[in-house]
Amino acid sequence: MKEDNFNIFKNYLSKMKGVSKSPPKVSLSEILWSWIGSFTGIALVAYISYGMIDGTGLTLIIGSFGASAVLLYGAVKSPLAQPRNLLGGHIFSAVIGVTCYQLLHPHLWVASSIAVATAIAFMHLTKTLHPPGGATALIAVIGGEGIHRLGYLYALIPAGAGAVIMLGVALVVNNIPGSRRYPEFWI
Amino acid sequence: MIYIIGDYQIFFYNEGEVVPVNNSEKRKKINYSPFTISDEDIYEAMKDVPGYLDITPDDLMEVYRHAYRHALDRLATSLKAVDIMTEDACFVNKSTPLDQVAGLMAGKGISGVPVLDVNDKIAGVISEKDFLSRMGEKGKKHFMGVIAECLRGEGCVALPIREKKAEDIMSAPAVTVYEHTPVIEIAKLFAEKNINRVPVVDAEGNLKGIVSRADIVRSSPIRIMA
Repeated sequence: MKEDNFNIFKNYLSKMKGVSKSPPKVSLSEILWSWIGSFTGIALVAYISYGMIDGTGLTLIIGSFGASAVLLYGAVKSPLAQPRNLLGGHIFSAVIGVTCYQLLHPHLWVASSIAVATAIAFMHLTKTLHPPGGATALIAVIGGEGIHRLGYLYALIPAGAGAVIMLGVALVVNNIPGSRRYPEFWI
Repeated sequence: MIYIIGDYQIFFYNEGEVVPVNNSEKRKKINYSPFTISDEDIYEAMKDVPGYLDITPDDLMEVYRHAYRHALDRLATSLKAVDIMTEDACFVNKSTPLDQVAGLMAGKGISGVPVLDVNDKIAGVISEKDFLSRMGEKGKKHFMGVIAECLRGEGCVALPIREKKAEDIMSAPAVTVYEHTPVIEIAKLFAEKNINRVPVVDAEGNLKGIVSRADIVRSSPIRIMA
């Protein structure tokens, strides 16, 4: 019995060693197109945010778009980077984040953790898993006065609108090189 | 476990290796298992695909193995007896005299024939073996046994069965399959029962056709894939 428990524990620890190796490095042209795509996507969103709607109390750029750029322009084929996931992930998570803040904001640690965990579960449930969605939910809680004031508008601007713009850039840029195509699927 | 029908042999497919069904050690083990694809092959294949693949080589290998197993399952079960059987199969009746049975088999160039009863239901099968076992050297179901007997010049070796009828020497009850029986099951049956043909019948026992080893070889998935 003691021996058994020891083996179970050994087995458990051995899982932490890892079994596979890192996927191969991508080509230089791939790296270049990742740079061009993410530059264009973030530039457009940031320009509209800082250059056009600054002072209206609105914003178009949130931190989670940096993460979306990694997927959209750097891992084009990933299921996590597809339009369904991008839009669904940001919008659903934003709604969940805002709800959690409004219901639980006296306890920010509870609001933020429930927001992220629920966002992930809901994205799984709706097949819209998009890692930056977790950040979008978290930002709804920890984003400060400017974000809190938006209420549920946060789900449309910046979360939804920013994602739509980045999607447009991905459709244009990712389909230029012969070795890339986007998306893999829409719904 | 999966069976692969190769030319003239049926292979038992087990994790990592492919061995003949009858598991005879004399036969060479043939190792053309897809599982011998190496980790390096997978890694190189991932490099062949432009762009970042959001999956580890091990996961890809696992997906590949499952996909291959599904493909084998599909190949193994999609082909049914009805797809490969000879439809207007020859047959004889229980009361058909053996000289006519032998004449029919010789005329059609076949080595076995189903035997039907008075209601046209399947009653048994007669093959060369059924003849041979009653001729020549006792118990040896082999043509050379008959030759040996003949060469010793002790008269016609067919004499013991001269006046007999199909029902006297047929193998009964007949091993049969249905039209929807997967070919892979028939191949197993051939190997287990050491037979070369099997009548295809409906639920009432009416003869619908016959499947021979040659039919199976012709339908081999290996050949389809090749």
